[in-house]
Amino acid sequence: MSAIPLSTIDTAEEPPVNLWRDAWQRLKRNKLAIFGLIVIVILAFTAIFGPYLTPYDYLSQDLASRNAPPSLAHFFGTDDLGRDVFSRIVFGTRTAFLVAVIVTFIAVVIGLLLGAVAGFFGNPFDRIIMWLTDVTMSVPNLLLVVVINASLKTPITKWMEAQYLATLNPFYRQTVWVDFLLVFGSMALISWPPYARLVRAQVLSIRNRPYVMAAQALGLSNWIVILRYIVPNALGPLIVSVSAGLGTAMVLESAFSFLGVGVNPPTPSWGNMISDGLRVWQHYPHLLAAPAAVLGLASVAFSFLGDGLNDALNPRGSK
Amino acid sequence: MMNATTSERLLDVKDLTIEIDTRRGPAVVVDGIDLYVNKGETLGVVGESGCGKSLTMLSLMRLLPNKIKVTKGTAKFDGRDLQKMSNGELRKVRGGDVGFVFQDPMTSLNPVMRIGDQICEPLIYHRKMSKKEARARAVELLRLVGIPGPEERLMAYPHELSGGMRQRVMIAIGLACNPKLLIADEPTTALDVTIQAQIVDLVKDLRAKLGMSVVWITHDLALIAGLVDRVAVLYAGTVVEDAPVDELYARPSHPYTRGLLSSIPKLSDAPASRLSSIGGTPPEPGRRPKGCPFAPRCPLAEAVCHERVPRLEPISGNSAHRAACFVVQRMQEAA
Repeated sequence: MSAIPLSTIDTAEEPPVNLWRDAWQRLKRNKLAIFGLIVIVILAFTAIFGPYLTPYDYLSQDLASRNAPPSLAHFFGTDDLGRDVFSRIVFGTRTAFLVAVIVTFIAVVIGLLLGAVAGFFGNPFDRIIMWLTDVTMSVPNLLLVVVINASLKTPITKWMEAQYLATLNPFYRQTVWVDFLLVFGSMALISWPPYARLVRAQVLSIRNRPYVMAAQALGLSNWIVILRYIVPNALGPLIVSVSAGLGTAMVLESAFSFLGVGVNPPTPSWGNMISDGLRVWQHYPHLLAAPAAVLGLASVAFSFLGDGLNDALNPRGSK
Repeated sequence: MMNATTSERLLDVKDLTIEIDTRRGPAVVVDGIDLYVNKGETLGVVGESGCGKSLTMLSLMRLLPNKIKVTKGTAKFDGRDLQKMSNGELRKVRGGDVGFVFQDPMTSLNPVMRIGDQICEPLIYHRKMSKKEARARAVELLRLVGIPGPEERLMAYPHELSGGMRQRVMIAIGLACNPKLLIADEPTTALDVTIQAQIVDLVKDLRAKLGMSVVWITHDLALIAGLVDRVAVLYAGTVVEDAPVDELYARPSHPYTRGLLSSIPKLSDAPASRLSSIGGTPPEPGRRPKGCPFAPRCPLAEAVCHERVPRLEPISGNSAHRAACFVVQRMQEAA
């Protein structure tokens, strides 16, 4: 009817396109991925600030109102010690994020380095590193973590206690960190091989691109070529895999806590809450439902985002 | 006299043999190649696909996978033996003394790095410049290769530039450290004809300004006619003829060179006449004939050609014009 207002023509000036902005444009169109992103942002916010905002301390017990059903005072009810489930889930979010981020970070760094070396330098490095990934992957995950935790936890805790008695340094009394260290360490140890394989495959294909030869023709050292020419170009699939990996690590941590080899009570973790809830779920279903639902939501959010990133970063692969 | 000429040689390749390790054993792909580039000179290396043009240049700089090896011969750059250099020393030569421009500008730039950073890379690495100095030099280089608005272009990603612009950026990167030698590996093949002419003019212009030597690898004899000083014609991994460019076009002597020149279509050809071609195909690597590699396709071949390999010898009394052909050499002696 009326002419297009001039202002809309003015804004038609295209912003400079680059890979990441392009990917963001495509990601924005994917509703599930944006849903996942929003959930993750909320969870991350909860993990960082939540524990300061909860109405109750995650440890404070109210024995008068044990196993209370959800109410206005306790959104998710209380557990068998009268602790507020909501506050514990909030604190458990911090545990889950801490584990997921640190474990994935360590696993990605190991995987990236080993994968890049294997792919770029070829044999004999390739053979040794791929052998190492195969061996690691062939050991059942749970078994390895159980073995590490069962065999190392007691000696380390004992050593810490001895150190505390000898030095009276309060640092040694914090056995929570031993817990985390063992969980992080053992989980990272089983999580790196898929990243190493992915990066190796990427590097193998990128190594033969002309710009890599051009960089070598400039006389740049192998490490500069790897870090500035190969790795940045291999990041797309890795980002996708990291996003999915974060969710997997959260589930894995819950699984270990559920089995009693993860984070120990009283530190709340979704896994040990699920484990506690499972014993009484026929009487107090909310004790199982609340942590399980949050865990489910978190892992679904990460996999939606991972899928969305996959489509956004591989324009050729998506419809 | 002899010494004077050899000392002027920037790149001197003698009797270089390159083999590829295949599953069926080593296959010779470059057989006793003889090449030289004088200081300040432009050499055109011409030959059809797979004759070893790029392979020779890249393997001299150790840019190829380990299974491609130099098994015989010497290659001197500026008086130093390239084969005897350690990887670290050779790395200083690459990018520092020798610049490369590759065939496909669309894929030869790192897609995730701003072009400014890519030009700065060798300057920071080889010339130990600060980031600021390197950027100033990068602007200067972009201006030198004729890119308008160089200050803004530094921030551009490769995909924001056209093919011709990208090739100019590649040239700027190749020239960054003021190399003594620029190796241009079919730099115009991926560009359309008008851009090709621009790039050829640019390199001509830059060579005059900077006084460097250029090796221009191509399969397009017509393209380099106005660009190079000397041409080396390669066939199946050997130099069959090399001569100053005018001499080569006026008096091609090797049957292969003659075949190549006569297969360039001319506007003066009768309409609808058949394009002339050389019958047969080049030998596969690893299945080289015993004698002259061109003998099976050669119209002049004699018994000796199938038995022994001819050497590159001066002909027509001009020491700069050499050909590897028994028949031509005999005819010269008879004349």
